[in-house]
Amino acid sequence: MEVVRADGRTPNQLRPLACSRNLLHRAHGSARWSQGDTIVLAAVYGPKAGTRKGENPEKASIEVIWKPKTGQTGKAEKEYEMILKRTLQSICLLTVHPNTTTSIILQVVGDDGALLPCAINASCAALVDAGIPLKHLAVAICCGLTEGGYVALDPTKAEEQKMRAFAYLVFPNSSHSVLPKALSAVDEEPGIITSVTHGLMLESHYINCLGHGHAACAKISEFLRKSLQTQFPGDLSKGT
Amino acid sequence: MRDLQLSLNQTQRVRLQAALQQLQDLASQAAGSSSVTVADTIPVNNEDGILKGHGTSELDGQVVATLCGVVERVNKLVYVRALRARYKPEVGDIIVGRVIEIAPKRWRLEINFSQDAVLMLSSMNLPDGIQRRRTAVDELNMRSIFEENDVVCAEVRGFQHDGSLHLQARSQKYGKLERGQLLTVPAYLVKRRKQHFHHLEKYHVSLIIGCNGFIWVGEHLETGENDMLEDREKRPETSKSNMICEEQELTFTPLEVRQHVCRIANAVRLLAALGFILTVESIMDTAEASASSNIEIKDMLGPEFYVQTVEREVQRRILLSRKRG
Repeated sequence: MEVVRADGRTPNQLRPLACSRNLLHRAHGSARWSQGDTIVLAAVYGPKAGTRKGENPEKASIEVIWKPKTGQTGKAEKEYEMILKRTLQSICLLTVHPNTTTSIILQVVGDDGALLPCAINASCAALVDAGIPLKHLAVAICCGLTEGGYVALDPTKAEEQKMRAFAYLVFPNSSHSVLPKALSAVDEEPGIITSVTHGLMLESHYINCLGHGHAACAKISEFLRKSLQTQFPGDLSKGT
Repeated sequence: MRDLQLSLNQTQRVRLQAALQQLQDLASQAAGSSSVTVADTIPVNNEDGILKGHGTSELDGQVVATLCGVVERVNKLVYVRALRARYKPEVGDIIVGRVIEIAPKRWRLEINFSQDAVLMLSSMNLPDGIQRRRTAVDELNMRSIFEENDVVCAEVRGFQHDGSLHLQARSQKYGKLERGQLLTVPAYLVKRRKQHFHHLEKYHVSLIIGCNGFIWVGEHLETGENDMLEDREKRPETSKSNMICEEQELTFTPLEVRQHVCRIANAVRLLAALGFILTVESIMDTAEASASSNIEIKDMLGPEFYVQTVEREVQRRILLSRKRG
């Protein structure tokens, strides 16, 4: 029995994804990620010399600035910045450029639910565009527990407000081995980078969300891989 | 300079798609290397002594990519080269920049980089050509050498501690550029070559391809007026050379040379919009092709020539791959 949500999607269906990179001239890397009406623009500057006080000089440090669509920055923005900073610190290779600072600036262009996962995806694409070495890509998804008791992915703002509980989950992207499949080892267990939950949910629901989220992240990471691999014909030229 | 606004009709669209598809196929044939995204494993076949270069790291005994790009191998070195990299300056690069600010004893230039480059007064030849200490009077007369919004060609001398560039313009071929156009292209389309200054005799045009993605196309001016090696005896001649300078200002660039400048500038814009690497040969080919097919200069950025250029590039690459066998 397939439940149909308010905008006509099935519970496991995501909103249309769009990603465009290299939009801003002055930034080292930039990306714009949209999931339906939620759009976030991320810009990366770095690595720049010098770390701030209190940061470990043997590693690179990451600085996140979140700009909301309207209003001034307040506590909610600081919380987003902190979550993003921790997430991106775990995917970047920090020992490659010690004693440097990489700044990531996020501008919310549209907010229609699942804002933080959209921002994480945008900043990951912007880091790739800037050429900063990463361990793996971070793919984020929002899973929510609706009142009907089923798990809905990628909720809109209206759905989010009615939900009992929801979780933002960030997984590493599925690695694509260039070696033939026969040589690869047994599939590793899915790891999780970040998990932020709101509301009250049972453990079984949470495990359920994790399963659904992981499957959806595989789809998003396929999309990300395709969008990162589209190149200009002239770039690949070895004939010039 | 971003994409051109093109309105292709149906046949042109079809031709363009076909040509782009052919380019893709040729490129994937020619490129023996594979493109990777982050966290892809690079096939290394358990060889001994593989050196892991930029963009790679080791994970569980496998070599994993940390950047998105193509895998390059040079003997035992394996590294990942990013395709759309930002301009990465190196010492000795030829740079074209625009003056945005005059600061004490230096000029600040805008180049296609995250920070502005600095050209010190002491790294610049004085107009009278004598080597001497720069005094306060020289500092006050900095504006007579370069003003704001002047286009300057210089060479990278080194880096400052905060990552901004130090430039020097001590040779004759560097300095202020006049009578021409400055074009901005993405920096990864310019590869480092031996020669960045080109004098196209056929058109009386000089072309400077800056490594930072700024390209100067202008009338070719004979340098040698303010020669550094002028002796004292030539001093009475300086007043004459000043006169010559003024005369030059009064004589305008002939119309034909201006048309050539515009044609070459449009060729550069077209190639940049298509994403092809900019070399003198490709720019000259495009300009000559447009001249021989009698295309108006303003139509060079139109849809028809756009499609024709892509098709010509396909032909050229097929020819090249056939020559290689």
